[in-house]
Amino acid sequence: MSETALRPSAPAVTPPSTPGKRRRRSAYARRQGRAGLAFVTPFMIIFTLIMIAPLGYAVYQSLYTTKLIGGTSFSGFANYSTVLQSGDFWDGVIRVIIFGGIQIPVMLAIAFFFATIFDLGVARWGPLFRAVYFIPFAVPIVVSSVMWGFLLDPAYGPFNHLMNAIGFHNFNWLSGNLMIPSIIIIAIWEWTGYNCIILYTALKSVPRDVIEAAILDDTPLWRIIVRIKLPMVRPAIIMLVFINTIGAMQLFIEPTILNNYQAGVVTNTWTPVIDIYSTAISNGQYQLGAAMAVVLAVIIVAISVASLGFRGRRREQ
Amino acid sequence: MLSRGSSPRRTNRFAATGIAGVAAVTLLAACSSSGGSSSSGGGGTTSAPASSAATGGSASASPTGTPVLAGGNCSSSSAHITFWAWVPGMSRAVNEFNSTHPDVCVTLQDPGAGTGEYVPLNNALKAGTGAPDVAEVEFDLLPSYEIQKYLVDLVPYGANKYKSLFAPWAWSQVSQGNAVYAMPSDFGPMGFYYNQQTLAKYKITPPATWDEFAADAVTLHNQNPKAYLINFPANDPQWLMDMMAQAGAWPFQYTGGANLTINWTGPAQQKFAAYWQKLLDEHAVSAIADLSPQESTELDTGTLGGAIYSAWAPSYFAPNVKHSVGQWRAAALPQWTAGAKVGTDWGGSTYPVFSQSKHPAQAAEFSEWLTATDQSWSIVKTPPSSLFPTYLPTLQSSSFKALTYPISGTSQPNQVFSAGALSIPLTTWPPFMTQVLTQGATTFGAVVNGKQTLMQAFTAFQQQETAYAKSQGFNVTT
Repeated sequence: MSETALRPSAPAVTPPSTPGKRRRRSAYARRQGRAGLAFVTPFMIIFTLIMIAPLGYAVYQSLYTTKLIGGTSFSGFANYSTVLQSGDFWDGVIRVIIFGGIQIPVMLAIAFFFATIFDLGVARWGPLFRAVYFIPFAVPIVVSSVMWGFLLDPAYGPFNHLMNAIGFHNFNWLSGNLMIPSIIIIAIWEWTGYNCIILYTALKSVPRDVIEAAILDDTPLWRIIVRIKLPMVRPAIIMLVFINTIGAMQLFIEPTILNNYQAGVVTNTWTPVIDIYSTAISNGQYQLGAAMAVVLAVIIVAISVASLGFRGRRREQ
Repeated sequence: MLSRGSSPRRTNRFAATGIAGVAAVTLLAACSSSGGSSSSGGGGTTSAPASSAATGGSASASPTGTPVLAGGNCSSSSAHITFWAWVPGMSRAVNEFNSTHPDVCVTLQDPGAGTGEYVPLNNALKAGTGAPDVAEVEFDLLPSYEIQKYLVDLVPYGANKYKSLFAPWAWSQVSQGNAVYAMPSDFGPMGFYYNQQTLAKYKITPPATWDEFAADAVTLHNQNPKAYLINFPANDPQWLMDMMAQAGAWPFQYTGGANLTINWTGPAQQKFAAYWQKLLDEHAVSAIADLSPQESTELDTGTLGGAIYSAWAPSYFAPNVKHSVGQWRAAALPQWTAGAKVGTDWGGSTYPVFSQSKHPAQAAEFSEWLTATDQSWSIVKTPPSSLFPTYLPTLQSSSFKALTYPISGTSQPNQVFSAGALSIPLTTWPPFMTQVLTQGATTFGAVVNGKQTLMQAFTAFQQQETAYAKSQGFNVTT
């Protein structure tokens, strides 16, 4: 309980110089600038080559159409018009928004609960439990999905046996109605530990004198947690909402694997990324897939900007 | 079950995505354990006969980062042939070829079953460089490569002289017009594969006609509401289409070019759909994912009495059998017309030569040796490859027909499957089968859920496939 100086929101290093407008920069500052450029250049080259260039190429590709009979031709925004009118694509978008809309708040609440317990230091073996909760994050998602697939298997999974034993007959965790709830459970299992560690670190950085002042004022513990600690870790929570939303929008592995255990629930357009995958890889329509990927990226950017705007507005208060 | 992703005979492509992921994890583990054993030159070691990914040596020299399973120590004077295949134990045949053909040196790599291979293969073909000289391609995907002109016509390299050595269905699959685009290897004539004891318990003998089959399915389910005669895997378009072929209801006609016939709604197709929908409505068949852990367990424990499986079933299904070892028997497929003998095929592979090859003559020589010689078949018919031959001298040999398997006791399932192999109706695949299979899994999946009848799904699929084919520039007729 001594590392109170660490604050995640504070910049770790202050910029070497903040040159004023029209002021001549010193030789030192210019040398520094050149050194900075030298440090940044390798990253920028690689970033351009593996990120910007493929992105540009995808946008370029999305303006063309290749047919098995007739070859490749410029088609303008025809692919985008196909995507925007595709009911299946938007059903998938809505599905992942529902998924994220439930999974992220529930997971963050659980993660905050455990982070608070660890932060209070009331649990014995705290570091051990932190490590245990973190383990699911270290398991590759493919592996954990396979594992959950067997646990939730319609005929022989122990979870279905459990439901049968308590009176729910013919219960199927992977049926059409329960596939999303089941994936929410899996995602919560996978990601709570990671979110818990981030929140724990943020809680640790809440200044101790604030808490001490509250204690001296006889503030009840729950008020300290909800009214002082929670608001002070809001930047971390918003960052986690942001990261988890991007992850949720790209849901792919869990439904794809669970499809092996239950036929006919996960369709080839079930989530936007599954839709992109089957369009590009299975249907061989790479350019249409590129257009879908661009549209999905725009949706994600829009959600991100909205959440950053929310963050900015809350800061001003 | 999932570890069976490397089955040589057939791959469920949508499922293969996940399986490939699991395989990748395994492969990564294998790579890391053999890391640092990088060799110079051709890369890899000449593998032992029972080679596996783990013993395949270094992957460093291969363009795809895939372990080299055989070959690799080529002399500079020989023609270098790169060969991709996922059939286990194929390195034995490659080593045999290399040792008997000093002027050719074949290097075998296994990029993974199904999608694992097709995705890098398609990328390399599209990129114009990096494709293998020869690769394993399933029958249904050959037209997809033919239409893009990725394949070498093997007729100039003497392919036609092997025609009489192959089952007629297999040869028709690899030919288009006067050209021969691949050499056929294994296939999967279908039959009724059943547990003798389970059926005896319900006093059922293997049905000769589909009418009897339907009656038996109802009888069994009435005696035990938890048990079924078979599973109807509507989500598996490959299985469904193969069964349609036997019923004379094949839904596609394609012989190259821009004209394509799609017919899922004709009288024969609707009759086929109505037959199975009736059994689904009566709950006389179960409707779960085929080749899934659940199906294997239900077959093993007697919840399912049997399956309409193919010749590769014994080797595919055997690893999951714990309780019913020795009880499995093969019978000919039930017939739509009493007394007829119509079979059908499920899966199988060919070995085409790709137009990127710098040594097409030697590549063709290898493909022909691999598929059309006693020498090769004496190796690949045995485990772990266990290929079921399209090559008649092996298919019709009494020693092959007499093979027994632990799962089927002293019975000889190949007797049944070999007989079915020569009565398969000719079929032609549309040149975009991956699209058909993925879309089909979704459209027919709705039947498994009871959201749609099979007839409705066929009608929907007709529209979906017509729309896709037209978007690809085909002239579509029904």
